[in-house]
Amino acid sequence: MPDELELKLTSTFTYDIQSNITLIREILGHSVDLVQRDFVFHQEKQIRGVLFYTDGLIDKEEINKALKTLINRSEEIMRSCIGAPMGDELTENIKTYLLNNASVNQSNKVQDAIDGILSGDTAIIIDRTEQVIILTSRGADARSIDEPQTEQVVRGPRDGFTENIRTNTALVRRRIRDPRFRVDSMKIGKKSKTDVNIAYLNGTAKEGLVDEVKKRLARIEIDAVIDSGYIEELIEDAPFSPFTTVQSTERPDKVASSIFEGRVAIFVDNSPFVLTAPAYFWQFLQASDDYYSRYMSGTFFRLMRYIAFILSLTLPSLYVLLISFHQEMIPTPLALTIASGREVIPFPVLLEALIMEISFELMREAGLRMPKPVGQAVSIVGSLVIGQAAVQAGVVSPFMVIIVALTGIASFAIPNYGASFSIRLIRFPLLIASGTLGLLGFASMFTIIAIHALSLRSFGEAYLSPATPFKPSDQKDFLIRMPWWRMDTNAQLAEGEQYRLGEHQVPSPPPKEVDKEDDKGQKPPEKKKSKNDGDAQSSKQSLVKIRRKKRKWGQKDEK
Amino acid sequence: MKNRNVVFLVLSLLLLVTGCAGKREINELAIVMAVGIDKGDEGNVRVTAQIPRPSDARGQTGAPSGQTGDAIWSVSAEGKTIFEAIRNLGRFSPRRIFWAHNFIIVINEEFAKTGIQDVIDFFTRNPELRMNTWVAVTPDKAIEVVTTITGLEVIPGEAVDKLLRYSAITSQAPRTTMRNLYSSYLSEGSDPVLTRVKLVEKGISNKDPGKMKVKQVELAGAGIFKNDKLIGVLEGDEVRGLIPFIERLESVILSVSCPKDQSENVSLELRHQNFKITPGYEDGKPTFHVKLVSYSSIAEADCPISLKDKKQVDDMEKELEELLYNDIKKIVDKVQNEYKADILRLGEEFNNKYPSEWKQLKADWSERLQDAKIDIEVDANIKNSVLLYNPTKSN
Repeated sequence: MPDELELKLTSTFTYDIQSNITLIREILGHSVDLVQRDFVFHQEKQIRGVLFYTDGLIDKEEINKALKTLINRSEEIMRSCIGAPMGDELTENIKTYLLNNASVNQSNKVQDAIDGILSGDTAIIIDRTEQVIILTSRGADARSIDEPQTEQVVRGPRDGFTENIRTNTALVRRRIRDPRFRVDSMKIGKKSKTDVNIAYLNGTAKEGLVDEVKKRLARIEIDAVIDSGYIEELIEDAPFSPFTTVQSTERPDKVASSIFEGRVAIFVDNSPFVLTAPAYFWQFLQASDDYYSRYMSGTFFRLMRYIAFILSLTLPSLYVLLISFHQEMIPTPLALTIASGREVIPFPVLLEALIMEISFELMREAGLRMPKPVGQAVSIVGSLVIGQAAVQAGVVSPFMVIIVALTGIASFAIPNYGASFSIRLIRFPLLIASGTLGLLGFASMFTIIAIHALSLRSFGEAYLSPATPFKPSDQKDFLIRMPWWRMDTNAQLAEGEQYRLGEHQVPSPPPKEVDKEDDKGQKPPEKKKSKNDGDAQSSKQSLVKIRRKKRKWGQKDEK
Repeated sequence: MKNRNVVFLVLSLLLLVTGCAGKREINELAIVMAVGIDKGDEGNVRVTAQIPRPSDARGQTGAPSGQTGDAIWSVSAEGKTIFEAIRNLGRFSPRRIFWAHNFIIVINEEFAKTGIQDVIDFFTRNPELRMNTWVAVTPDKAIEVVTTITGLEVIPGEAVDKLLRYSAITSQAPRTTMRNLYSSYLSEGSDPVLTRVKLVEKGISNKDPGKMKVKQVELAGAGIFKNDKLIGVLEGDEVRGLIPFIERLESVILSVSCPKDQSENVSLELRHQNFKITPGYEDGKPTFHVKLVSYSSIAEADCPISLKDKKQVDDMEKELEELLYNDIKKIVDKVQNEYKADILRLGEEFNNKYPSEWKQLKADWSERLQDAKIDIEVDANIKNSVLLYNPTKSN
């Protein structure tokens, strides 16, 4: 059977309309949403026509418009044709003179027509021609552009990707009005035939990177792609690692800035999550807010996030190893406080930590998928059970509750959900190693994880860069976020022009001489005038300086 | 790939093999806060440990705590050696004795007279013990000092720790840790001095107001050692002359009489000091020039006094200089004539400046020290009258 279908799909249409209709019917069957609309194209010459489209995927308005012209204005085209209009000429004429839709194609391949119908296009079959007109009439109902659910910002754009791939690429295109911005298309999935778009800035993306991404995508053989998660798992560099080497985001501004930095974005139809590659580990700790709020607060909150990262990774392990092996390292008053809290606890501290961690993860997981009204109940029950009742019953110590709560909050402070999950995962081997071997176990497990992370690469880039290998010029946007007027060079990942800022971008008051004139207490309008003069003068000065610098700039630009 | 999985599995199973070796949780420990060492019967050593009961030492919300018992629990045991005595503590202690948080080691003077080499050895050899533990001698039974509830803190050990930490205010005792003891014991150029504590009936019970009947731990001078044996003690006030030699003399309150009215007093607080020992070598004899420059402020004046009046200030400075000179002179005389132990660390100073001469002298340093010429120079300055520049009452 599949062979037969394959055969039909690879065949071409004939000049006989009836056999073409049967061919399509045989391939697509009699699904309710497949609509066949017969019409008469030309009464006198008895030319019939038929439209095929899938209900629900199309924009009815487009089809109505096309149908109207096809039926009403067929005379015009017949008059202009000499002799009996047939074949390519007929369809070519219809395409050129009749249809005023934006996008129209023609093909004699069955495959093209079927693909078109299934993706929301309309196939127009006219008698006496083997060419089928494929009219783009996609207009499925889609979710409107909403604020992203997973990566919210306090300050910054609030639009998020939707399930529609074209909307998504447009959201990014709106932010990059550069002629070198490219969006290449691909179809992945034998049955799902999902549209996959690869977007990059030509000349900025590293040489070979786009090819590598395309190569990895082309390699994929799968029946269906439901979400970009499928693609991510199929193209990532370290499939056996807890670390994610591809970043996924719901934010178009993030994707746009990634593209400016020389990364490649992969859009997958029906998924609001867009992948960007290559990814560094540290970028999972960076939030869009860092760049939109002033650099001081941006840097501060970024540092807080690094602290959160360290806490969520190590805090429970450090607590466990201190309590069960290295009591001498705790300050004496604190040691007594902890000891008194643990006095009645029946479990060893490692087991206590595991119980609490697991109950916390349970609560988080349950709260995640609950309908909103029930979600509240989960949090009430959870906070009562693990927060208070467990301590009062003497099952867990109050200190452990603090540790687990702190760890939980810290892990929520990591902006990328995937990254925070991978950190939560590697916390468990660390916890078990430090609970069984103390500081020794902690150190060796941490070393193993560090060595593993060091060995990772994401599309040819070292995963822990720019920390190791150390890239001096990328330190501007790593631990701290430098002010924008200091981010003068592009990321090292990006090729092409090196400078992103002109000279003297630090805002500063105009030169002093102007102020002296101002002080003489003249009338306001004159005052204004003199100030303007001063401005012109200073801008002239700075222009000279820029010109002097420009030579260096220009050289890079031409490349 | 299969191979890698097997390796990973074996590695993770290795974690289980350790069986949590050396693991002991904090609530399975008896955390010692103070240790007392006494002479036991028949040449034995008696070791007393002060151990807090965590649930009583800290009122914990939630956890059902005692709140009825005492915050500390003390045990005492004897043995031929310190280690044996400590092992014998295990007979009474349901939890493992844990030393790392120990605040203070109190040694009975009778015991110290026979030598404390075993104490030094045990407490520096054991990795669980810290070098910054205070070490003190006491004329009382160490067992009594260790088991007395004292101070504001819930745990007496902590109270004694803080007493020593802020002892600079009184300058009644030098502060000595295990590290000081160890280094001066090992050094050829100095002999150990230890803090001395004493039980005095200074505390007032709430049940019996107005009467000082409750015993409290008090800082009371210093114990002087030669090698590892206690050879003498200094009482509290005598220590003031010793302190500049081993730490800093600060915040001490000294009283001088008013320049105009000898019956009234002015209290001076020593704020800052420069202390310098300059060793010399003349005719095969070591000499030392000791210079103390001190700056003080007026803490309390019972008579009208102003810093503007230079004459008055000079008078007071002279009296203060005399006071400080006598303190230092007294201690130097005692060291040279009575103890013949170099607790002032003059040998170290000499060694630093004359290393080759030191090699000849060090063999019989305690005799050499007796012959050494030590001259003392004191320069006292009164610089500050704090908030009141003029006297409260004008004359």
